[in-house]
Amino acid sequence: MICRRGQWTALLGFLFLFSGCIPLDQADRHTAPSLNFSECPELFPTGPWESVYQIEAIISGKVFSSLFGVTKGDPAQGRLHSLLLTPEGFILFEGELGGNGIVVHKSVPPFDSSTFAGGLMEDVKTLFLSPAGRPKIGREAMDGARFCFWEGPDGFRTEIRGSADQGWQILRRDAQGETIKEVSLNGPYIQGLATHLKLRSMKPASYRLKMTLIQVGP
Amino acid sequence: MKRVLLIGIFSVVGLLSPRAGSAQDWASMTEALRNIRSIKAEFLQQRTLPILTKPLLSEGRFFFQASGSLRWEYLRPLRSVMIQKGNTLEYYHFSDGIWKPEVTQAVETRRMVITEISRWFQGRFDQSTVFQPLYSPGPPGRVILTPREGVDQFIRRITIFLSNRIGVIDRVEIEEPGGSRTSIEFKKIEINSSLSSEIFEKP
Repeated sequence: MICRRGQWTALLGFLFLFSGCIPLDQADRHTAPSLNFSECPELFPTGPWESVYQIEAIISGKVFSSLFGVTKGDPAQGRLHSLLLTPEGFILFEGELGGNGIVVHKSVPPFDSSTFAGGLMEDVKTLFLSPAGRPKIGREAMDGARFCFWEGPDGFRTEIRGSADQGWQILRRDAQGETIKEVSLNGPYIQGLATHLKLRSMKPASYRLKMTLIQVGP
Repeated sequence: MKRVLLIGIFSVVGLLSPRAGSAQDWASMTEALRNIRSIKAEFLQQRTLPILTKPLLSEGRFFFQASGSLRWEYLRPLRSVMIQKGNTLEYYHFSDGIWKPEVTQAVETRRMVITEISRWFQGRFDQSTVFQPLYSPGPPGRVILTPREGVDQFIRRITIFLSNRIGVIDRVEIEEPGGSRTSIEFKKIEINSSLSSEIFEKP
């Protein structure tokens, strides 16, 4: 078990070292009409919700697992409760993100490290929770595509770009401006949730998640 | 005082014995299961989680050969298959129109689950190193599996509901600490029919 955890950590370390540096996108510098901040796209559920997505995790081109990702969220409280399940229903990970940070309720190797818990809950937050506060910039390009970005106190940025026709993209950048997560969302939207999501993570580990909405509630 | 103690000991021994019900029923049930050479069935799995208002439903089919082969396949909502041949366990996932091999996680745990399922279908409940069986003649007849120390963190109890048709399992219910549960209901069960060897090959 220790050996397997070591291999997993080594793999993540390897992927981290060899993940490419993505140059800072210049989209926010384009000349375009400014938007009222209320016109920035709202891609996230606004009330309490629960969802089940089918997840295909791909690392180094290999399908690592087909899993169920179950999430219950309360945007007003900034709370998320997530589970990863095997098709047989076996719980690999269960954790919550809230006012007290991340609380892990259940985890089995190799999903039992604090690094994994932090990364998973960060992904869930990027996918389902609107960035805090008002956007710093909101613009609309000539083709109707919108661009808005939020900057956090840590210098990390969240950008949302796209249109209803082209689909939407969420980008997370670190304080150096390098893209660390890239999410594409495609409809139809059910109760504010995109049916198809693709997440590409560049840092701290390189992997891709392909997600399909299966069930939504309440 | 001694009599009370003896009654207590016998009660505990009785509860822990697989023959808590009728010894005849237990013997005939396990014998019938041990005569099974193959099983083909469909199943409906209901995963109940405290955070979900509706259970997560999955449908699939399974094929079992007592010689050591098992195919456990999910058809909806996600398509994946687990194939066991002897000690080899392989997982495949259907995506973008093709079957892709999986580098799956929690292999040992999933292997343990498959080994246990294989034992249940052969009536070898008492060979488990993980669960303690208790037979209740019912109706419906049930085998209650209580986890030994360690596994009880993940599973509180497994109840196997037996069909009126001797040697056939109708339903399995797995209860976990915290209120989560899984129910697997079997249907269209065919016993000892001929199964093609291709069923246990990679898809």
